[in-house]
Amino acid sequence: MEFLETWMPLIMFAAVCLVLLLGYPVAFTLAGTALGFALLGYELGIFDPAFLEALPNRLYGIMTNTTLIAVPLFVFMGVMLERSKVAESLLDTMASLFGSLRGGLGISVTIVGMLLAASTGIVGATVVTMGLLSLPTMLKRGYLPSIATGTICASGTLGQIIPPSIILVLLGDVLSSAYQQAQLDMGIFAPETVSVGDLFSGALIPGLVLVGLYILYIVLLAWLRPETMPAMSSNDVDKTTLIPRVIKVLLPPLLLIFAVLGSIMGGLATPTEAAAVGAVGAMLLAISHGQLNLPILKDVVRSTTQVTSMVFMILIGASIFSLVFRGFGGDELVEELLTDLPGGKVGAMLAVMLLMFLLGFVLDFIEITFVVVPIVGPVLLAMGLDPVWLGIMIALNLQTSFLTPPFGFALFYLRGVAPPQVTTGHIYRGVIPFILIQLLLLGLLAWWPGMATWLPSIIYP
Amino acid sequence: MSAPLPTQLADKLDAISEWTGRLIAWLTLTMVLVTFLIVVLRYAFDLGWIALQESVTYQHALVFLLGAAYTFKQQGHVRVDIFYQSFSPKTRALVDLFGGLLLLLPVAGFIFWISWEYVAVSWELKEGSPEAGGIPAVYLLKASMLVMAGLLIIQGIADMLRQLGILFSRDTH
Repeated sequence: MEFLETWMPLIMFAAVCLVLLLGYPVAFTLAGTALGFALLGYELGIFDPAFLEALPNRLYGIMTNTTLIAVPLFVFMGVMLERSKVAESLLDTMASLFGSLRGGLGISVTIVGMLLAASTGIVGATVVTMGLLSLPTMLKRGYLPSIATGTICASGTLGQIIPPSIILVLLGDVLSSAYQQAQLDMGIFAPETVSVGDLFSGALIPGLVLVGLYILYIVLLAWLRPETMPAMSSNDVDKTTLIPRVIKVLLPPLLLIFAVLGSIMGGLATPTEAAAVGAVGAMLLAISHGQLNLPILKDVVRSTTQVTSMVFMILIGASIFSLVFRGFGGDELVEELLTDLPGGKVGAMLAVMLLMFLLGFVLDFIEITFVVVPIVGPVLLAMGLDPVWLGIMIALNLQTSFLTPPFGFALFYLRGVAPPQVTTGHIYRGVIPFILIQLLLLGLLAWWPGMATWLPSIIYP
Repeated sequence: MSAPLPTQLADKLDAISEWTGRLIAWLTLTMVLVTFLIVVLRYAFDLGWIALQESVTYQHALVFLLGAAYTFKQQGHVRVDIFYQSFSPKTRALVDLFGGLLLLLPVAGFIFWISWEYVAVSWELKEGSPEAGGIPAVYLLKASMLVMAGLLIIQGIADMLRQLGILFSRDTH
């Protein structure tokens, strides 16, 4: 019984992971399994049901959380850009702009992946979109399947780390309460805060460096092994219409994203306000492409509702899980385990990163943010780690996890939309260089946290 | 020949989620427009109303609460589908049937049960906004927790009826 009393939180965590693998929707699996354990613990006399009485208040807290209102607005903007084919023509134009260069199409895919960041932020969605948009073209142009799929997987996951991704909004919200709690635990009663804006500006430099490294790899490969990514023959491109097309197609979405990001980082607008302006901008872009009509609008509002509801139901499921986890003494257990690790904060950080990497094989970013970060975050932050740096490390780490064979999410989703001549082996081989790039950047960021913390520190002194 | 009775019932229950979802979805558009309006009013005219600000919160909460059952019907709630996608249709139906029975219904039922008192207290007080000039309808907002749980229960039952249909169908695909 004593064994159960001590280890129940971890047993419950393992059980949840197992039940999740059956494939019932995550939100209800998290909550349902936790409630089952609460009942079991109550019968055994090791769980006080009073912990669950906090639930309605938690629910109301989620409903009225003003930071998270940015989520549906950013999703609306992303879905609008996607459904109105703005993204598609972006890729087309980029391809004709860079297409006559060797590796040009690969570079275009990377950049569009970065710009689509504002889209749903769900790994699957971006990889599927990118796969459908660009894989057939790349193969037709004679790109090696492994290189085409590797580029698409990696670019599809860029959307998580490049602001304004909704993942960073969620992570920002969770880290901000973890940070408050860590400081209160340390006896600091006028705690410093960390905001979504901090996380956006912290992610900017590492994100751009990552994109730069991807492009560098593509350029190097195109130079060393030109046969793997041939240039488009120049008669595919009509030079005379190119310049106006670039101005019409490329410039507006770029301006939109810069305006949204700039106004948040410049402190002019809250993420919610910027997201609303971005969403209106996306509608105007759709109108200018002649793509805003009732069917598309219906499609956009319905998709936005589904993505929003999905995200918030996971948040609610995760809240029920964490109430039960706390009721079993899970917080203390995790704190003990992490502080007992050799190597102090380095050891604890390594252990958490490894755990998240492995969890990334099973859980999507949103679940890990809502379930794992609130548990380990306060402990790590109390050890003196910087919240912005921690957030970006988590984001990069999970992004790497989603790319890693054999379980990486991105690989599965691309497999699902790839034509039959592309094998799973192609996809695995193609992502390896990108995984190495990710690890390189993780190492750099661990070595030099300033890459993430410098920009927020000068914007929000 | 008309469809069997359980299927007819499932269709009726499904329709409830479908139509609330389609209706509530428009709130995402009004949220965008109202928030945009707030920004314009504030930066261009230095105007602002708390009620307008709060209305965005209300719309946001209604979207994800009342859209939950619709999202379930549209298969919009993410699954960990590493194994699920390679299961046969009958195995999937089994997972969904027992998931509904042991996970969804208990969760929705529990949320309904534990929130009842909380909502009732607020309802009795006709609880309004804590801020002056706010929307005096916090009790209605809180009641939407119960509506969410209720809609999820309805959708859960509809889904389980369908899974039973798949499990007991004779044809083997």
